[in-house]
Amino acid sequence: MEDYELQTEQVQAPDTADDTLCKYLLFRSDALLFGAAADYVVEIITNHPITPIPLVPSYVCGIINLRGQIIPIVDIRIMLGQMPTNRDCIIILTINGMLVGVLVDTVLRMIDLDTATLCMSPAKEHQRLVSGMCSLPDGETMLEFDCANLLTQA
Amino acid sequence: MSMGNDSILDAYLYETDGLLEQLDSIVLAAEQADAFSNDDINTIFRIMHTIKGSSAMMEFNSLMTIAHRAEDLFAILREQSISIVPESLRPELFDLLFQTIDFFRQEIDHIQNGEALTDNIDTLLEKINSFIAQINGTAPAAAKEPADSSEPAADAAPHGFPYGLRVFFDEGCGMENLRAFMLVTSIHDICSEEDFTFEPADVEHNAASSALVAQSGFTMHFRNQADRDNAIHSVTGIGSVRNYQTMDPASQSAPAAEEPAPAPAPAAAPQAAPASSASASAAPVQPAAPAAQSKATPVKTENHHKESLISVSLSKLDQLAAVVGEIVITESMVTASPDLKGLKLDAFTKSARQLRKLTDELQDVAMSLRMVPVSATFQKMNRIVRDMCKKLDKQAHLTLIGEDTEVDKTIVDSIGDPIMHIVRNSMDHGIEENVEDRIAAGKDPVGEIILSARHTGSEVIIEIRDDGQGVNDDAVLAKAIRQGLAFEGVEYSHKDILAFLLAPGFSTNSEVTEFSGRGVGMDVVKKNVEDIGGSVTITSEQGKGMTTTLKIPLTMAIMDGMEVSVGSSIFTIPIHNIRQSFRISQKDLISDASDGELFKCMGEFYPVVRMRDLYQIEDGRVNVEEGILIWLEAGELSYCLFVDELLGEQQVVVKPLPSYLNSFNIKRSGIAGCTILGDGNISLILDVNNLYQGQ
Repeated sequence: MEDYELQTEQVQAPDTADDTLCKYLLFRSDALLFGAAADYVVEIITNHPITPIPLVPSYVCGIINLRGQIIPIVDIRIMLGQMPTNRDCIIILTINGMLVGVLVDTVLRMIDLDTATLCMSPAKEHQRLVSGMCSLPDGETMLEFDCANLLTQA
Repeated sequence: MSMGNDSILDAYLYETDGLLEQLDSIVLAAEQADAFSNDDINTIFRIMHTIKGSSAMMEFNSLMTIAHRAEDLFAILREQSISIVPESLRPELFDLLFQTIDFFRQEIDHIQNGEALTDNIDTLLEKINSFIAQINGTAPAAAKEPADSSEPAADAAPHGFPYGLRVFFDEGCGMENLRAFMLVTSIHDICSEEDFTFEPADVEHNAASSALVAQSGFTMHFRNQADRDNAIHSVTGIGSVRNYQTMDPASQSAPAAEEPAPAPAPAAAPQAAPASSASASAAPVQPAAPAAQSKATPVKTENHHKESLISVSLSKLDQLAAVVGEIVITESMVTASPDLKGLKLDAFTKSARQLRKLTDELQDVAMSLRMVPVSATFQKMNRIVRDMCKKLDKQAHLTLIGEDTEVDKTIVDSIGDPIMHIVRNSMDHGIEENVEDRIAAGKDPVGEIILSARHTGSEVIIEIRDDGQGVNDDAVLAKAIRQGLAFEGVEYSHKDILAFLLAPGFSTNSEVTEFSGRGVGMDVVKKNVEDIGGSVTITSEQGKGMTTTLKIPLTMAIMDGMEVSVGSSIFTIPIHNIRQSFRISQKDLISDASDGELFKCMGEFYPVVRMRDLYQIEDGRVNVEEGILIWLEAGELSYCLFVDELLGEQQVVVKPLPSYLNSFNIKRSGIAGCTILGDGNISLILDVNNLYQGQ
């Protein structure tokens, strides 16, 4: 857990806040840098005990009790075919009114991103969970996390 | 058609729906008794009046017109009593009422779906008119004026009080009756009691009148114009007034005077004359204004011992239940905090116990809020049976048992359609075509359908039983083969054949009827019931009838469960499924041919299911001597489950699993839901039946 201060940094800062500007939450899963549209993000929690569910695909880690709500947790490392590790950082997303937790390595920060700079990922295969990509000013490449289709991935 | 404010529309729809339901049950009961009591007539009159008023306010003209005519009809009945309708015309009266109710329902549906209202209401209007004419013909003394009057009695200015003022309060401001009474008190200050009247007259004492005031406004009539002008100042002075309208004698006198007006009140002779004729035409037997009003108002309020109710949105109740659930859990987290271990805290323990009691009570109340009786859903079936009896020319009687059984609101909403389907099926396919067949079979010529509801522990059981011809196994099988659901030459048991009835696309009636036989009946029932976590079973004996049983879980129900552990996982088994538990040794287990294990108990063999293997829980115990065997029973199923440890009995609140998990068929693998334990951890609740089937 390196950085929990979600300070906002401007990318391509146009002062006239036009409507293509969106907030993204950056997080890391293995070597990949993802950004999830902040509209989907409800909160970030750590250290929450997960109750495993039997007889479901391995990427479904289980369910948690978040203040009385039962929320399913998916491990995107397993979805992406990465090696599972011992992490406990969960981003809670709301997708079509349904709450889902995503297990990630670390959460970095919030950024403002001009959605016009997002482009479709060129590769066709193995791009589940990714709906687009773009370069950040520090030279890193952010993959846009496909929140809307997370639940339909099987 | 102006849609107005959405919340007003919602309130209108909600209220009208409730009124129609009330109307339906009154008319059904009256039809059975073949007579209307005076109370019934008054109630129907009031309902029609309310529908008319609120529809007019919403500018739903078709509803208003029909309600208005129906109100006229009941105004006559109210004046002349039911005896005005000769025996021969009674069935027609009931049919007319049902048609009117259906018309209202249809229009309400239109409104709900945002469709245009029916323009052509002449047929129904004509029917009502001709009926009114018919009963007027039979009782010439009965004034024809009520039928002709274009203003309802309540709207007409009483004798001698020509200057009307109608005040509408803000929608939803509440306690309209008291607000109206405050208005009356403030008007007393500016003019004397004899100089004005108001309607409804009992606003001070009768809380029920507030609905009327909210609906049709609060009407006052003044002797002098100056008084009214002063009153307008008072009206604008008090809060919560939406608008007001003045009613002058000129506008009141629109309908031509049909009978000579009684001597106008001397105090206001010139203005009063046209007004009094209006009032006379509206209510022929009104002797004098104040008297007439005191006579009319008790009628409006009689029989109105309704509990004061408010409607709350379901999402708020969900929220409440969630918060209460958290409080209960937090409470046990605090009182069982590890920080308190080993401390002797008398005062704390005492207060903690008190807190426990209160949270328990809070939980009970929060749960009960969402529970509603099934009676509303059941009552609707009366109407369906009645209509189908007429259409199909069969005789059947519906008996309701356990109407006051309470179920979660969401469940009540979703069982209405399935029950309706089954009742229709029973009427259409179950009850014999010919009365002779029933008599020949030694049955009562009048068929019987019994609709019952009852609680058992964690479930509500709804049973629809008919004493009709039952299921003809051969016919069903032949049909199933035709539909490609079954194969020729294969032996099917009675149970298998009944299961075909629930298969998609199966309909035994070769002809599609108005009521059933579209082939989407029972499988839709099955799906709807399964969607809310329930199950459907059919039993039938040929010639004796058929019983359809819906077993529906009480969502959010509190359940007695046994906590068991397997490795680090904790599961909850419903107590009512547990028969016994055993400590056994390896030699008590017998291997069977298919690599399974059996346990012998009281001379019977039961299969053994090991949770560790079934759910692939690696840290579960393998050695049977270290664990415990629980003998479970669910329906006809009986088996033993091997777990690590029994942790103890606990009352748990059942929570549904997130719908995301349902896509993995988690119900099939024996998990019915989950519950939050005292320490905030989650325990999965097992479904004993599916657990065994799913392995």
